[in-house]
Amino acid sequence: MNDKLIDIEDLTKVFYTDEVETHALSGIHLTISRGEYVAMSGPSGCGKSTLLSILGLLDTPTGGKYLLNNKPVENLSFSERSRIRNQEIGFIFQSFNLIGDLTVEENVELPLTYRAGMPSAERKKRVKEALERVNMAHRMRHYPAQLSGGQQQRVAVARALAGSPSILLADEPTGNLDSKNGEAVMHLLADLHREGSTICMVTHDPRFAKHAEREVHLFDGKVVSEQELQKLTAEVEA
Amino acid sequence: MIGGSVIQDLRYTLRQLRKSPGFALTAIVTLALGIGANTAIFTLVKGILLRSLPVADPALLYRIGDTDNCCVNGGFVERNGDFDIFSYDLYLHLKKSAPEFEQLAAVQAGIWRYSVRRGEARGRELRGEWVSGNYFSTLGLGASMGRTMGESDDSENAAPVVVLSYRAWQNEFGADPSVVGSTISIQAHPFTVIGVAPAGFFGDRVTDTPADFWMPLSTEPYVREGQTAILHHPDSNWLYPIGRVRQGTNIAALQGKLTAALRQWLFTREAYTQHGGTAIISKQYVAIVPAGGGIQNLQQETGTGLKMLMILSSVVLLIACANIANLMLARSTARRSEIAVRMAMGAGRNRIIRQTLTESILLSCMGGLAGLGVAYAGSRTILALAFPDAPNLPVSASPSLMVLGFAFAVSLVTGILFGLAPAWFSLQAQPAEVLRGMNRSTRDSSGISQKALVVLQAMFSMVLLACAILMTRSLGNLENQNFGIVTSNRYVMHIDPAGAGYTPDRAPALYREIESRFSALPGVSHVALALYSPLEGDNWGECAMPQGHPVPRADENCNSTWDRVSTQFLQSIGVPMVRGRDFSDQDSATSQPVAIVNEAFVKRFYSQEDPIGKHFGIDDPKYSSAFEIVGVFRDFKMNNPREAVRPVYLRPLSQRFNRFAPPFISGEVQSMIVSSILIDFGSRQQNVDELLRRTLASVDPNLAVVDVHPFDRQVNDNFIQDRLLARLTTLFGVLALILASVGLYGVMSYFVVRRTNEIGIRMALGATRSGVMGIVLRGVAFQLALGLIIGIPVSLFAGHMLASQLYGISSYDPLAFAGATLVLALCGTAAGLLPARRAASIEPMQALRTE
Repeated sequence: MNDKLIDIEDLTKVFYTDEVETHALSGIHLTISRGEYVAMSGPSGCGKSTLLSILGLLDTPTGGKYLLNNKPVENLSFSERSRIRNQEIGFIFQSFNLIGDLTVEENVELPLTYRAGMPSAERKKRVKEALERVNMAHRMRHYPAQLSGGQQQRVAVARALAGSPSILLADEPTGNLDSKNGEAVMHLLADLHREGSTICMVTHDPRFAKHAEREVHLFDGKVVSEQELQKLTAEVEA
Repeated sequence: MIGGSVIQDLRYTLRQLRKSPGFALTAIVTLALGIGANTAIFTLVKGILLRSLPVADPALLYRIGDTDNCCVNGGFVERNGDFDIFSYDLYLHLKKSAPEFEQLAAVQAGIWRYSVRRGEARGRELRGEWVSGNYFSTLGLGASMGRTMGESDDSENAAPVVVLSYRAWQNEFGADPSVVGSTISIQAHPFTVIGVAPAGFFGDRVTDTPADFWMPLSTEPYVREGQTAILHHPDSNWLYPIGRVRQGTNIAALQGKLTAALRQWLFTREAYTQHGGTAIISKQYVAIVPAGGGIQNLQQETGTGLKMLMILSSVVLLIACANIANLMLARSTARRSEIAVRMAMGAGRNRIIRQTLTESILLSCMGGLAGLGVAYAGSRTILALAFPDAPNLPVSASPSLMVLGFAFAVSLVTGILFGLAPAWFSLQAQPAEVLRGMNRSTRDSSGISQKALVVLQAMFSMVLLACAILMTRSLGNLENQNFGIVTSNRYVMHIDPAGAGYTPDRAPALYREIESRFSALPGVSHVALALYSPLEGDNWGECAMPQGHPVPRADENCNSTWDRVSTQFLQSIGVPMVRGRDFSDQDSATSQPVAIVNEAFVKRFYSQEDPIGKHFGIDDPKYSSAFEIVGVFRDFKMNNPREAVRPVYLRPLSQRFNRFAPPFISGEVQSMIVSSILIDFGSRQQNVDELLRRTLASVDPNLAVVDVHPFDRQVNDNFIQDRLLARLTTLFGVLALILASVGLYGVMSYFVVRRTNEIGIRMALGATRSGVMGIVLRGVAFQLALGLIIGIPVSLFAGHMLASQLYGISSYDPLAFAGATLVLALCGTAAGLLPARRAASIEPMQALRTE
């Protein structure tokens, strides 16, 4: 059996705004295997978040192939993409993106409510387990505004875990945290990886990228080696 | 599972509303006004237009004839051949010709007042209706007490019986069970009460004057003694047939069959064949119409107005919807990131739409709930204004199940309507925005939607304002027209001499006494008696036939209104003579019968000759020498104030034309019993009501006073419905204007907040404060102008639709449209000024820090 969870070939993404054509991604080839922990890094505007949004089916590529769980997903309808996002993918965002009017419990339950047919008792059980996993079960009834940034991000991790996704996609998960809380979140992700989770994390901080098993470097919408990245960066700075 | 997620959406929505009480309150109040106005009007539509009689299987009831032609007519009924009021003979002929009717009853076209007395108690004025003996069995009704009348009660030799309405039994007879079986006197004739109709049964029509009791047709000659009875006059039409058809009856075929039967019968009557009538008989027809809702008098009177109000209130609701949609669009913009997060979590489009609609529908249901209170108060007020002095009107302001269902349906549709734009806008959110960030997302298109909604509001407001001004100006024209009479310091008293036992022979003495006693009152200038007074809603008409003129053709309009009056009638209403003389004491019972006529009468019948000294008669050429014209008086409005003055002739109370043969003698005799006293005080008086009642009681304590009121109130009462329509249209117009102004204010405020940063940049680059104000005001002007450009042609169309309700004003009245445009422009500009000033007061440095 093929162990590739994500397999993309020659992926491109072009943004069209008025008369300007912006090539955000050009000919990306990337595979991520089950259980792998991959970090994507690169300077601002290199296309990290665009790639992550395509990986997470938040956006569609302009060209190329994308297999998720060996199934092509590049041309799915909006509702099919919604269903796959809900069942296969867990998101952790830089700005947490918890909904302020929902309690911690409701926030974590949110993706499960979009899953047709899941009984309420099952949802509650999963929410409890996810919150216990990130040590936030004691704050179930709190609202996001009543939590610190680190706690909010842990809740966001619990929300991503609750649906038992195939992969966790994290976009600068430490970007809005101080170093102490940032480290704590990175340890949490490392723990999850050890327990078998597949993780793909976008970061521009080399310290956090080191937590991953593999680093993918992007520059101007292309995947480059570490050496190439250093060279290109030096050229730009020069 | 869906139920669970709906509950989650509801819980979330409630939490959102709790967090924004200002928004929630604004939305609920706006919706309560919109839904409440619609529900109030629908309560009336349901109570009047959609109401079924409370009888068995009303769907099987059909009426022969379709319009109201109350109360007694002779000859062809309508110019278009529509025959809808029938004599007793003709009713029996139709009944015999149509076995398709399981039962066919006849009911009196008018419901008249009678003096009713039980034992030695004082007489009361109650309303009675003559009906055929099979009336209750046709309607499928039993009695709540005693029994209803049967065929055997409706025969010449049967003892006179009466069935009381449940309401009259309760209100007038104190719910005394012993009234059944007892004898009461109706117009001084004994009747046995055989039973009480079921509770809730208000008769065969929705009317503000429902019957208090029902008498068999056979008692009509008994009550209206001798010459005045019309039951056995085959050419006096005064009945509406209403019956229950057999299941499966082809109504169109039945209509054809009865039309043939009608024509066949008319051919046998000289009254219809003479003077070229034979040619007209072939144009006569009957319409058979559903009568589950009863005789449709009130429906036909109020239908157009109610439908118009329904449309206008719907427009107000649409404006309210646009307002709430605007508020929700602003909220949607603020919640765009949340929607993107939900989409990223796997929420499908349906789910996002459902959540937005949950909020809008929940709001509209809350608005609908509050609207029920507005509706109850509104419909009560409208009923009280539209039907003053009508406590027995069988229309309730309390919401019925149907009204509740309507309110719920309107709330649901409203919620969907104003939720659609925000729902559509929610769908424009992209899940990828959650990663890219809102500032890098696509352009915010909600502004365009919001402006479009304001344009829509301005357009609808223009329509409502134009309608309101048209209706108000029309009402002004109606009320301030020259009626040709003087009403100030004058009073009208209605009496019922027949109910007190006065006959035409005894009445003259009574009239002399009344004139004498009332004239002696301090301050009284004139006192007059009349069969009926001007503009009280009554009308007696006859075909006038001037002597020596060709006999009018059967299809020629020879109608003239007439009234029987005492000598001071014209003085008491301030109408001058223009030629000849007024009535005087020389016009006695034995002198030449005389008449005075109005200018319209002269114009119609004597356009080329001097009418003074000429003779005319009525209905039959053999009477054309009956009355000599001795004077001409100035035109005044006697009947419908909306119509041009009709030809009118007046005859003196002192003269009776005894050469009339039946049926014409019936009206002649009946007209000797008058019902109106006109008192001209010349100056303002206090406690007139009590003074007049006391004076009448001094003449005869048994004479019942039907009512006393100032003459100007009687004239004003002609415009109750016009006034109500104008007021409600104005109310809706003002409401629309407020909502549209609030909407414009909201959008422009939002515009300023959204563009604070841009305004800061502009100011940093040198824009002046007035320039910034100009940006905002140009936006206001653009939206208003667009609303007006669309609104003016729509208003012209609405005015055209209103034409039938207008009086003395064109439906394209430029003043109304200019006024509506000006008011809307002023209010819109005022609404835009505040945000414009706020924009101009922005500090550039502070604005540049704003994200």
